[in-house]
Amino acid sequence: MTSTLEPAAEQQRRPETQGRREFLAARRRAVVVELTMTVLTVAVAVLIAFLVVLATGKDATGALNALLTGPLERTPRIGRWLADATTLSLLGLSVAIPFRARQISLGAEGQVYAGALASALVAINLPLPPVAAVLVPLGAAALAGGALGAVPGVMKARLGANEIVATLMLNAVVVRVFDYLLTDHLKAPGSTAVQSAPVRPDSALPLLSDFFGVPLDQANIGLFGMLAVAAAVWFLLARTPLGYRIRMTGSNPDFARFGGLDVPRTIEWSFVIGGALAGLAGAHLALGIYGGLQPDMAGGLAFEGIVVALLGRNNPVGVVAAALLYSYLRVGGDVMEQQTDVGSEAVTIIQAVIVLLVTARALPELVKRYLARREAR
Amino acid sequence: MGPVLDVVLSTGFLAAILGVSTPYVLAALGGLLAERAGVPNIALEGSMLAAACTGALVAGYSGSVWAGAACGIAAGALLALLLGVLHLYLGADAIIAGIGLNLLAAGATAYTVYALLGDKGGTSRLHSGALPSVRLPLIEDVPGLGAVLSGQNVLTWAALATTPAVAWLLYRARFGFHLRAVGEHPEAARSTGIHVHRVQFRALALSGALAGASGVFLSMGAVSFFVTGMTAGRGYIALAAVFLGALRPWGVFLAALGFGAAEALAVQLGNLDIPSQLVSAIPYVFTLLALAFFAWRRRSAARTATAPTSPPALPTLETT
Repeated sequence: MTSTLEPAAEQQRRPETQGRREFLAARRRAVVVELTMTVLTVAVAVLIAFLVVLATGKDATGALNALLTGPLERTPRIGRWLADATTLSLLGLSVAIPFRARQISLGAEGQVYAGALASALVAINLPLPPVAAVLVPLGAAALAGGALGAVPGVMKARLGANEIVATLMLNAVVVRVFDYLLTDHLKAPGSTAVQSAPVRPDSALPLLSDFFGVPLDQANIGLFGMLAVAAAVWFLLARTPLGYRIRMTGSNPDFARFGGLDVPRTIEWSFVIGGALAGLAGAHLALGIYGGLQPDMAGGLAFEGIVVALLGRNNPVGVVAAALLYSYLRVGGDVMEQQTDVGSEAVTIIQAVIVLLVTARALPELVKRYLARREAR
Repeated sequence: MGPVLDVVLSTGFLAAILGVSTPYVLAALGGLLAERAGVPNIALEGSMLAAACTGALVAGYSGSVWAGAACGIAAGALLALLLGVLHLYLGADAIIAGIGLNLLAAGATAYTVYALLGDKGGTSRLHSGALPSVRLPLIEDVPGLGAVLSGQNVLTWAALATTPAVAWLLYRARFGFHLRAVGEHPEAARSTGIHVHRVQFRALALSGALAGASGVFLSMGAVSFFVTGMTAGRGYIALAAVFLGALRPWGVFLAALGFGAAEALAVQLGNLDIPSQLVSAIPYVFTLLALAFFAWRRRSAARTATAPTSPPALPTLETT
């Protein structure tokens, strides 16, 4: 910082530029600190898992090697990494928006199934011209997810009903309805396995392999769609009135209310937008990964979206980075399971440790204190 | 409706309800204690899973089902205490930390079973045995009643006994007064000399132990082995029962019994031509409606109770 008693010549001429430069520099520093924390958190989690594996007498070094280098060894694995990161980013973003309004929505699981169901129903049954054949199912998925998000949103905002219980119950209902529709009504005729008919070829998300000429497994154009969605979420939160309302509601609800913001409506919108994004994640699974509907197709992905949102600190760019980091570990875990005697459950342990480290705020506090002490010296 | 009624009115079905409800009742009572102490325990699921796994493993290796049950319950309590450390000492959000602990339990149990037995599915190759069921010599001979009550697992009886015990603890015991005071207004409780954190830790330990007993029932009650992920979301449903039961022991008991009845019904109706998935969805729909109704009633009560000039209750995070 320049001294206020002897202002630099430049600052005298254009003080506002100087202030802005300082502000930007401070923000850059904050971003670097946040990024370091994120990488550090994951590193500590991986280290703990390494020690656990070592303690059980398995081939820990080989496992760590497979975990960390495995995903990059073959292009199909890179493809699986990118495809997984696409779904996880969308889920992370879907959780991050209500989180920003200080709402804990656990409804992503139901919304994923609703989105997959809506997109697949359109994509299997409705003949559409080429581009619309992809866009209309995606729209249907976003609508279905958003509508499902509206239910706990309205219950919380207008009635004060606990959103955690509401979303968990809604998940249980939707998963069962999905199961019922799939086994009793949508099962492809003549198929022995419980799965729907494949989506029309026009509606399947185009594979990246066809563009780049290398085998990239199921990685598809949804990757770019996800990046566009992340950019849109950033714009929404940082540059629009609704985004401002969401941030205000989250950081200080009293201030928001006395400032004249319609807090209940803002909360509802945060749930609806989050639901729409989770619906898109479901569409990515149905149109991009499986090409149809399968039982248990989302697995535990929805809860992993929470991990990604936390790790990315509810910041759109951070969420995408965290999803890339996290899905890398997931694919690495699969490689580890194939190549060594260590099961991929070790990755679940890594994931849990990440959640605990991120929420416990112990690690960032210690690092911050260390940095502050060094700066003071 | 004929065949459905036959199923519902059979004594075997009533006995099945008691069995299926047992894990819900135990875990929900545990969730109730933590909730009343002001720490939402979403780690019930993790406590159940850890207890189910520990119980089966210890029973299998030591040869004593009672040692297994005790270690399982201890494991459940330990996980809940970990939640306490994270939330009360390290400032973690209780909900997110709970989800993290659930993940930890899922990963750690699956990893441990795989590392010890080399089997990803569970401990079925370890012959760990089950906790005994209780036969009631006199009631056994009463037609109808005997078939329902006799031959239930010892933990089912424990679940039935725990409900009045928790009610007594909450409303009659000194510790229960402290617990409720801490949950309702920690500052006020602290000002009267209550050690807030100590009370909360004890409540969490009890909560985790009850969830642990619930998990032990899963792996050492109806069956005698642990299957990875065998809790299958029951901890979350127990949490819903806590709210559906309006945070009162007997209400929670009835809500848990309702979830158990619906699950038992869905299993029974699987044989008939009724989609079991839809039947098993009914209690969740009902919970949603009840949740909305109670919230609406609470809000309208709050609105009439406050002065008209004061702003309406703010929808803040209720769980901190």
